[in-house]
Amino acid sequence: MESDVSRRRRAIAAAGLLLLGALVASGWLEARVQESPQASLKPAAAAPEQDKPAAPRPAKERMAVYVILAWVWLSIAVLLAFLRLRVREADRVHRMGLHRAGDGPPGAPGH
Amino acid sequence: MKLPASLYSRRAFLNGLIGGWLAALGSAFISPLLKYIVPPTPEPDQVTVPFADYKDMAPHTVKGFAWGNKPGLLQRTEAGEYVAFVGVCTHLDCNVSFVAEQRRFYCACHEGWYDENGLNVAGPPPSPLRRLSVSVEGDTLIVKRQG
Amino acid sequence: MKALGAWIEDRLGLGPVAAFLAKKEVPCHRHTILYYTGSSILLFLGIQIVTGVLLALYYQPTLAEANASVVRIMTEMPLGWLVRSVHSWSATFMIALVFAHLLGIAFTKAYRKPREATWLTGVLLLGSSLAFGFTGYLLPWDELSLAATKVGTNLPKALPVIGTWLTQVMRAGDDVTGDTITRFFIVHVSVLPLALLAILGVHIFLVQRHGMSAPLEAERDKIKLPWLPFWPNFLLREAGVWFVLLGVLLTVAVFLAPGVGPQADLMAPAPEGIKPEWYFLFMFQTLKLFPARILGLNGELIAMLVMMAGMAAVLFLPFIDDRPFERKGKVITGLAWAGLAYAIGMSIWSLM
Repeated sequence: MESDVSRRRRAIAAAGLLLLGALVASGWLEARVQESPQASLKPAAAAPEQDKPAAPRPAKERMAVYVILAWVWLSIAVLLAFLRLRVREADRVHRMGLHRAGDGPPGAPGH
Repeated sequence: MKLPASLYSRRAFLNGLIGGWLAALGSAFISPLLKYIVPPTPEPDQVTVPFADYKDMAPHTVKGFAWGNKPGLLQRTEAGEYVAFVGVCTHLDCNVSFVAEQRRFYCACHEGWYDENGLNVAGPPPSPLRRLSVSVEGDTLIVKRQG
Repeated sequence: MKALGAWIEDRLGLGPVAAFLAKKEVPCHRHTILYYTGSSILLFLGIQIVTGVLLALYYQPTLAEANASVVRIMTEMPLGWLVRSVHSWSATFMIALVFAHLLGIAFTKAYRKPREATWLTGVLLLGSSLAFGFTGYLLPWDELSLAATKVGTNLPKALPVIGTWLTQVMRAGDDVTGDTITRFFIVHVSVLPLALLAILGVHIFLVQRHGMSAPLEAERDKIKLPWLPFWPNFLLREAGVWFVLLGVLLTVAVFLAPGVGPQADLMAPAPEGIKPEWYFLFMFQTLKLFPARILGLNGELIAMLVMMAGMAAVLFLPFIDDRPFERKGKVITGLAWAGLAYAIGMSIWSLM
């Protein structure tokens, strides 16, 4: 039972990652298509203006964003660990058939 | 006692009358709204441009002008005459460009091609480019709707 | 605290709702993963609302200012580029999940009785999501977005009787102009959100009313599947998924921020390599391939009719396939796979 659950969870994670990877890759491909000029048969675009830069230029802002990103992932990892503990606790209560007792949403009658 | 049928049918009739009346009233309110949401954008009957700007065009070249909200393309022919087109692809409304080396009009959206005379020759366009009539009067070039 | 809760309960009487949520069960089976798509869509919808409001603080929906104000957001406003990037990527993630949600339900036949109305509202939600994408794409007012909008708004013109009028309504006249930007903006930030939230309310109510759908065999044979309480067991799991998605969204948004092209010029020829958003690519490629005339008929009209037939088939799927449990619906499953393969194939082709 336990291994079955974890296998399924791993499969879910793998599928999710695959989907996200495909999405990001398609976005990247699109961006590339947008940049690369088409075959020479067609008229050259008359000196296309450069796209406005998307990412911040100041190195300081860039660094700050990367630091924030790292911090975000760290806190997500910690949060996931906490959630996991909480899920285990809730599942144990559920298996014991006690889930109705004293574990309703806030505002539920008898809370 | 059996209820007379008219009691019920009178109510049904009145309900229907009120419902139908409301529907008619509603459409009377809605029709001016529908009118409001489409602003009038009449196409110009004619456009005048200074002839001086187009005087020195070489044969087989094209220069743009504004045909209302659409781009117009003025072309000089081999014989030195002027021909004008609405520079909008007849497929799905993209603006076309003139490819001088090939003497063809090209639409980049879905790769449609027109020859020098505006005839659709390749790709999805279903009909030729729209032509406009051109005349020169003194210092001005007058472009008019054809027909 | 307790007194406050009692006071609110007396006024609103939400006790039954809370009791319902406390009792809500989520069946566990091999398709349970599909349940996560719905709530993840809500997550991205929330992000869209927040970032959309932030963008609207500086965006100006006029011919002169639209492109400039987007450039200003991206270059001058603190972290403006990131807000726009998150809005853009969150839209992509949301629509991808909407498709996944819809396909998952099509494959598991969860749209069958009694869930036809849920499916109908779901397809309407898909339509409004796509409309959000279409109207939002124009707003930066660069060359690509102008050309894509011209093509998109010209499509209905092929329809008989109301076609020209529809195009005029979408464009505010015969041409795409500054009025079109204003119109798309107000639809994007006001009309569509109101419509979407209203339909979403009905959709979520119906999902609760009918309960989570279980696989065919279980529903037919009234097998009681193993289940989890929605509160808190399932919700905690969903929360985990949300935070991972949030992290991925932020990472992608930081590293792959979209740029903005040169300001659109109504008189300039269409630029090379125009393309719509990725979820319209397959339609775009189809249009490119359709010849001008088919058997003497307008090719564009036929393309339109084929697309509309496809959309109608999707919308009315529960009524086309209305045999509750008799069959597994292999034909529908096959068609769904074929449609998916066609869309993916065409999209890849258009990118090549």
